[in-house]
Amino acid sequence: IWTGLLPAPPLPQRTMAKQYDVLFRLLLLGDSGVGKTCLLCRFTDNEFHSSHISTIGVDFKMKTLEIDGIKVRIQIWDTAGQERYQTITKQYYRRAQGIFLVYDITSERSFQHIMKWASDVDEYAPDHVQKILIGNKSDEDQKRQVAREQGSKLAKTYGMDFFETSACTNYNIKESFTRLTELVLQANKKELDVLRVPFSEELSIADLEEEETQRDAGSSSQKNCWC
Amino acid sequence: TESRLLGLVEHTGAHALFIFNHRRMAITGEDVTLDEIIPISHDFEIVEACHFGDIYIVFTKVRGLELELEVRLPFGSHTRLFLHEVNKAWSGKMQLLHLPGSCIGLFSGREGTRPGGDASPSQGNPSGTRTPDLPESRPRKGKGEDRNDLVRSSSHTMSNKAQMLTMPQFGLRDNLIRCELLKSEELYTYVKNFRFFVGTYNVNGQAPKESLRPWLSYSPDPPDLYCMGFQELDLSKEAFFFNDTPKESEWMRAVSEGLHPDAKYALVKLVRLVGIMLIFYVKKEHASFISEVEAETVGTGIMGRMGNKGAVAIRFRFHNSDICVVNSHLAAHIEEYERRNQDFREICTRMQFRQGDSSLPTLSIMKHNIVLWLGDLNYRISELEVDEVKNLIAKKDFETLHRYDQLKRQIDEEAVFKGFVEGEIAFQPTYKYDTGSDQWDTSEKCRVPAWCDRILWKGKNVQQLTYQSHMTLKTSDHKPVSSLMEVGIKVVNEDLYKKTFEEIVRNLDKMENECIPSVSLSMREFHFRDVKFMQRQVEMLTVFNDGQVPCQFEFIQKLDEPSYCKPWLTANPCKGFLAQGSRMDIELEVFVNRSTATQLNSGCQQIEDILVLHLDRGKDYFVSVTGNYLPSCFGTALHTLCLLREPIQEMPLETIKELILVEDINNLMTEKPLDIPKEIWMMVDHLYRNASKQEDLMQQPGLRNEFEEIRDCLDTGTPDSLPGSNHSVAEALLLFLEVLPEPVVTYSLYQQCLDSSSNHALSKKVISMLPQCHKNVFNYLTAFLRELLKNSAHNHLDVNILATIFAPLLLRSPRKQDLGEKRKTQDFLRHFLDPDLK
Repeated sequence: IWTGLLPAPPLPQRTMAKQYDVLFRLLLLGDSGVGKTCLLCRFTDNEFHSSHISTIGVDFKMKTLEIDGIKVRIQIWDTAGQERYQTITKQYYRRAQGIFLVYDITSERSFQHIMKWASDVDEYAPDHVQKILIGNKSDEDQKRQVAREQGSKLAKTYGMDFFETSACTNYNIKESFTRLTELVLQANKKELDVLRVPFSEELSIADLEEEETQRDAGSSSQKNCWC
Repeated sequence: TESRLLGLVEHTGAHALFIFNHRRMAITGEDVTLDEIIPISHDFEIVEACHFGDIYIVFTKVRGLELELEVRLPFGSHTRLFLHEVNKAWSGKMQLLHLPGSCIGLFSGREGTRPGGDASPSQGNPSGTRTPDLPESRPRKGKGEDRNDLVRSSSHTMSNKAQMLTMPQFGLRDNLIRCELLKSEELYTYVKNFRFFVGTYNVNGQAPKESLRPWLSYSPDPPDLYCMGFQELDLSKEAFFFNDTPKESEWMRAVSEGLHPDAKYALVKLVRLVGIMLIFYVKKEHASFISEVEAETVGTGIMGRMGNKGAVAIRFRFHNSDICVVNSHLAAHIEEYERRNQDFREICTRMQFRQGDSSLPTLSIMKHNIVLWLGDLNYRISELEVDEVKNLIAKKDFETLHRYDQLKRQIDEEAVFKGFVEGEIAFQPTYKYDTGSDQWDTSEKCRVPAWCDRILWKGKNVQQLTYQSHMTLKTSDHKPVSSLMEVGIKVVNEDLYKKTFEEIVRNLDKMENECIPSVSLSMREFHFRDVKFMQRQVEMLTVFNDGQVPCQFEFIQKLDEPSYCKPWLTANPCKGFLAQGSRMDIELEVFVNRSTATQLNSGCQQIEDILVLHLDRGKDYFVSVTGNYLPSCFGTALHTLCLLREPIQEMPLETIKELILVEDINNLMTEKPLDIPKEIWMMVDHLYRNASKQEDLMQQPGLRNEFEEIRDCLDTGTPDSLPGSNHSVAEALLLFLEVLPEPVVTYSLYQQCLDSSSNHALSKKVISMLPQCHKNVFNYLTAFLRELLKNSAHNHLDVNILATIFAPLLLRSPRKQDLGEKRKTQDFLRHFLDPDLK
């Protein structure tokens, strides 16, 4: 056999180190004017516009977060809050993995409507959808109609996390979006574990130690032989 | 280069590529023509080239037909899928190689298309395409769907980073991040010096007999990395033929025992080709910063391939710097310096390292930040007699000797080692000694001493601290050479790296968000005032693409609804393509016809709808359509009309609604209902008095505007008498009968009518079973028709004509009618038209 004369065969292919992107869809729900679009703009573009332009339709933006070393890309859907569009916006629920239920702390009415929003979510969203409750406009304390405790109590009844936020002062924005993403990530953990592959660095260190052991044992490590 | 559509077509197990010419923005089958068919037979071949990070270039060679086709496919997963399908088709063909015949003839059926790629040279198109229907092909089911796909595919005519980002499966985003990180490397790395020991030793096939410490550990401080190259490790035939030698482990042990005693080292890699061996050690604390280690060998010996000469190399990443160490043993003999140059070039070309990500191209030696090249390069001192050389060595006049050194000369001539640096040689030649001594070669050949063993480098931030030979080692006919180098390595500042990384991700997100398709709409709410039966109203919606990318729009269906809008509404066009900055007018048309009038007359439905304008890969916009409908006698049931003593628009909507829902009239009404609807009476009476002798009555069409006046007159009661020509009034009557929700002869009695059509008495009996107002209307109308027939000399009407016109209006079938049925309905009606039968 003359194979020994040929150029050495290549080393076994190293396991590819892949960094997977995970994509989740989050949905902003709540009455018209509670600040859903402002929350989104603050979070993705760090911008705030105080004038209210009603969203007539369904808009979305992308954002990448890193959570537990996993790069998570979230697509955040901003929906029309006006009542007459609700039959149509409901059809977007089933594509969501996470939902923000948003009310305005200066509007008792928007808070009362959370119950209706929550029951719609129960009816139309997937079973394992993650939800958190958001009381927005926390900067307008002088006009407050819903006490923090009320929000917190309602969230507890529903078993949700609760944040008071202000898109205007950028209070608790990143925190609440990150929290919901974490919850969605946890809920989908099983599927994700399959995706996690050791990174190349970890691998090469493992190689290194293996070879070192061989060296200590005084054995030859012939990496290049024909087999 | 022109844009084409490619399609993979399968027919009874055979495949071919169909290549189509197409118009710009091809939407339907008419927009494309078949250009060429390339059968996927056993001589079909795909050669694929890839431009890094840009697009795929695919060459399709068809050797059998001597046709060579070069297409550039857009970068993306759809291209991948398409190529995968083509390859699958081709490999299937290879398995069936024994099957005879050319494929071309098999494709006459032209069906069963598969997803293809859009081969547009100037426009990246990452979306999938189905081959469209060919003009000559027979219609297929699901044609609409195909068309849909084509519309979609023709839309994304940009090869834009952002769009590819939406395909996470391609890892493009990762690649972009990697590229950006590389570009801004200076932002998060700083240069830190590390000490490299680089050594080379031609051991002349000897086993280690003495400690290597004088060579490896002469410096007071331990080096950070060790790279040691050996040549002629084993000169035996076994080593040459089987690349197997016990010397490897012997020298390995000698090396590990000779490493600097003041530090702990880890072996990272050992690579050997016959007698050429390279060993790479690193100080233990640096081990975790070494990554992407790859080793390769290149033989340049006998036949240009064998391992008796050549090189071995190890590449690795240390912190953020890519380093390549090469140990080469080049061709021997004093006159062979050209051969040595060639070996060098050969090694540079053939030495290719695989990368961790197999989709990336291989790395050559010169792609590294730092290259350390050591070995027995075999360049000699020429043009001087052996004694002269020895004299100059004795005088330590190395400067003079350098002028005769082949390597120095070749480097000066830029014939070899371009871009490499060698430190000053301040040691005497390392070849050739009598083994076991410091004596120059005393053999017959009496070789001229030479600096065979050398160390060179290439790259920034390298400083040579020492470059020397080690005379105390006497095992070989060569002396080992070493160099300590201070190498500046790019080290990552973790905080700055994180910051840079996040900034890059933020920018990518921003770019991606900016590239989400977006439009602005001229209006979001449309109100249609006073919508009337059979009267078209149109409003214009202007869609303007205010985004940064072209977009594909379409009105989409809402959940649980059969269409994107209510039946009385249409949007024209309901889908389309908009380039950046362009606009399109969409007609929103409201038209209430017979199928929608009844529900609107009764108030059960309103002019109210929300359209969802969807952008492909983008947002949805809601467009509200509202309006008020003016109820009409057209489309209202006979029994309801009989209860309305006033024109329908004079009545409150609630009353109409109530009247429609009432089953038993007697319960509600105090007043007796009308015998027949006054609207029928008005029309028939008008015709009886004015049109009995009208030529071609019922056969000439009316005028649309006159119909509208007649309708308004019937619905509002003004003017007092019907306007319009006799023909228009006649047409209004026919239309009135046609749009009745329940025909004059009710659906429930329809079958009985058919069954009794041959019998006069039975036919009369069926009519007597009709509800009162239906019976009244039937008798009233047939009496009128008989009156008309009395004037047939003037109006040219006869029983046949009237039966043909009125049978389908009075006796409407609940199902689809066949010809026999039609004749029976006419026969039935004839019983009531023949004046003699009265």
